Amino acid sequence: MRKEAIGPSQLFAMIVLFELGTALVVPVGLESGHAVWLSILMALPGGILLYLVFTHLYLQFPDLIISGYARKILGPWIGWTVGLLFLPVLLYNGSRNLREAGDLLISASYDKTPILIIDSIMIIAVMYILSLGIEVFARTAEIFFWIIIVMGLICIFIVIAAGLVELKNLFPIHGNDLWEALGSAYPNIWIFPFGEVVCFTTILPHFSKSRKIKKTGIVAITLSACLLSFTHAIEMGVLGENLYSRTTFPMFTTITLVNVANFIQRLDALVMLTLIIGVFFKMTVYCYAAVAITADLFKVRDSKKLVIPAAVVMLFSSFVSAENYPVHMSEGKVFLENILPIFCAVIPVLLFLIHRVRKKFGLYR
Amino acid sequence: MSIKGVMRLVSVGVIVLMLSGCWNSRELNDLAIVSGIGIDLVPETNEFKVTFQLVNPSSTATGFGASAGEPSIVIVSASDRTIFGALRQASKRATRQLFFAHTQLVVLGESLARSGINDVFDIFERSHELRLNSAVLVARNNDAASVLKILTAIESLPSLGLVKKTQNTSRVWGENRTIDVFDIINGITGEGDLTINGVSIQGNASEGMKKSNLEQTVSHAGTVMDGLGAFSEGKLIYWMKDSEARGTEWLLNRIEETIINIDSVDKKESIAVNIVYSRTKVKIDIQDGLPVFHVSISEEGIVNETDGFVDLSKREEIVKLEQELQEQTGKDVRQALQMAQQMESDIFNFGNELKRSDPQGWASLDKKWGHIFAQGKLDLHVEAYIRSTGMSLKPYHPAPE
Repeated sequence: MRKEAIGPSQLFAMIVLFELGTALVVPVGLESGHAVWLSILMALPGGILLYLVFTHLYLQFPDLIISGYARKILGPWIGWTVGLLFLPVLLYNGSRNLREAGDLLISASYDKTPILIIDSIMIIAVMYILSLGIEVFARTAEIFFWIIIVMGLICIFIVIAAGLVELKNLFPIHGNDLWEALGSAYPNIWIFPFGEVVCFTTILPHFSKSRKIKKTGIVAITLSACLLSFTHAIEMGVLGENLYSRTTFPMFTTITLVNVANFIQRLDALVMLTLIIGVFFKMTVYCYAAVAITADLFKVRDSKKLVIPAAVVMLFSSFVSAENYPVHMSEGKVFLENILPIFCAVIPVLLFLIHRVRKKFGLYR
Repeated sequence: MSIKGVMRLVSVGVIVLMLSGCWNSRELNDLAIVSGIGIDLVPETNEFKVTFQLVNPSSTATGFGASAGEPSIVIVSASDRTIFGALRQASKRATRQLFFAHTQLVVLGESLARSGINDVFDIFERSHELRLNSAVLVARNNDAASVLKILTAIESLPSLGLVKKTQNTSRVWGENRTIDVFDIINGITGEGDLTINGVSIQGNASEGMKKSNLEQTVSHAGTVMDGLGAFSEGKLIYWMKDSEARGTEWLLNRIEETIINIDSVDKKESIAVNIVYSRTKVKIDIQDGLPVFHVSISEEGIVNETDGFVDLSKREEIVKLEQELQEQTGKDVRQALQMAQQMESDIFNFGNELKRSDPQGWASLDKKWGHIFAQGKLDLHVEAYIRSTGMSLKPYHPAPE
């Protein structure tokens, strides 16, 4: 079978869509004040460093995914266990994205449609695209990248044109606010959404031009950080700190306020499309990562067979995991603070350090 | 898989997608579109009486449809402890399910406003159908239901008419501004207090409900924008009018256009100056534990009418007019501030401004802000310019001997 290959522009689009995903629509950084946009920019350097760790490991083991080189670095037993631990985390985090999209759709317009139906439709799309292979997915990302950019520009332009943004809500930034912003940047925003790029360790082996890997990723992460920061600055500027912290989906509330000349109004659909597209890419990447790791750990030759089971697990855990949205959010807080950092940052960095040490002292046989 | 199998799968997929798409469907002819909501308090039972102004589709469909006999709107009321409850109670009276996505206006009854509005607006934020940008008015000396019942000439939907009235007078007269639910929620959650436009009924309210009211040149009853209600702790406590209301808008930097009449040598208030541009900057600092409000206003005007004599071709005369303008503006602003300080109600967002620009200073004010605000000092600077005198210089009537 021919190895599937992903080009730089495709990887770029995938990373941007993955980063924007849900982070564009839901509040980021748990409890951030009016300097949330600054927090996002502050978290960017950390995100880039983390990405460099991933790429370094990839360049050392260009054909292996994270569970593969974990076994090389930590030895077969520990490495295998670490790989196994990734599975529930990836599946659960993917299901969280699904849940967020489903909940927005239900609270925004489909109030009488069962969440099962909405979520299944989305997961069927994920199954379909993964059964076609990662290359198809990457090319889809290339197209949707432009769709998201154009939609985002339209939304932002209209919100600004409607005269809703009040810079007062963003400034001034005092010393205290800086510390607060830094506090919400590390570790929260650093991990969500930047740390989540750990999923791409399973995609990188398909990358065709390994020389360009650093540049592509860094530019993609920087661009998505700027877009995120700008969007959240606008949301904060429109809603103010108080309302921003209370709404479940700040971007949605922002858009509902738009009313240009009693003519351009109720653009809610644009926000929902943005979320659905973002969630689709994020979920697919998570699902793919879970499938790839499973295939690697259990030596399944045709990994596409695993897509349906993984997606079904994701679908069910998306609504079994929490009774309602507030519970989902508070679970997310615990998950983001305690579990995700271990898998997004601690394990990769440890792998990196152990690898360096073993290499330096010639401990590889 | 055979082609047949694939086709089967595709058709199953298509059917699933189609079915779910219509899960929430509500057809247009099953909807009663609500254009305005009125909220009153029933004092005996402590319930909300919610009044809905429903669009009557058959009589608003075309321009001439309104002459078909039915009025363009239908009023339905229901009472319950919660607004949402009342909204559903209305199903007993309405033939169709109410649809709120096009609600333009929310009217609050005066008794509700006097007893407190802080807890009324949650549903506007929580519901996806109701909007945060519906305009809000208080029915002055009346209940909200009666205001919604009055038909308006020219506009077929009275709610829309009231919204337009608010916008119109805000734009050219400057004693009101459009205030929507979003502003009110911000006012409640912020540090200060808020103001809401008042609307009152002039004339015979029961005649105003009839369609025949519109079939004559002078209506028996109509709605009039009437003052600016000042709230303290969510309760309406005072109706600001004329220069107080305008001073408030000035302090909030919400003046778009307004008229100031200035005395001439021979006649009182006989020179009309149209203020076409105005900008207010507010800075607040704390001196000796008390706030000082540094307000600087710059305004530009056009002389639109001179009933008394003034020689506008002379520079000194114009400078005199400008000074007069500054004084008049200052008077409005001082009156508004004085009134607000008397009520200990910071309707000018000064508290928010102080908290924003100087959080430490804000934290050092330990007592209640309303009380401290009342002792604040005003440091006012007004710059007024007259940019044009219209199509003529000297008026045609001669100077008084």
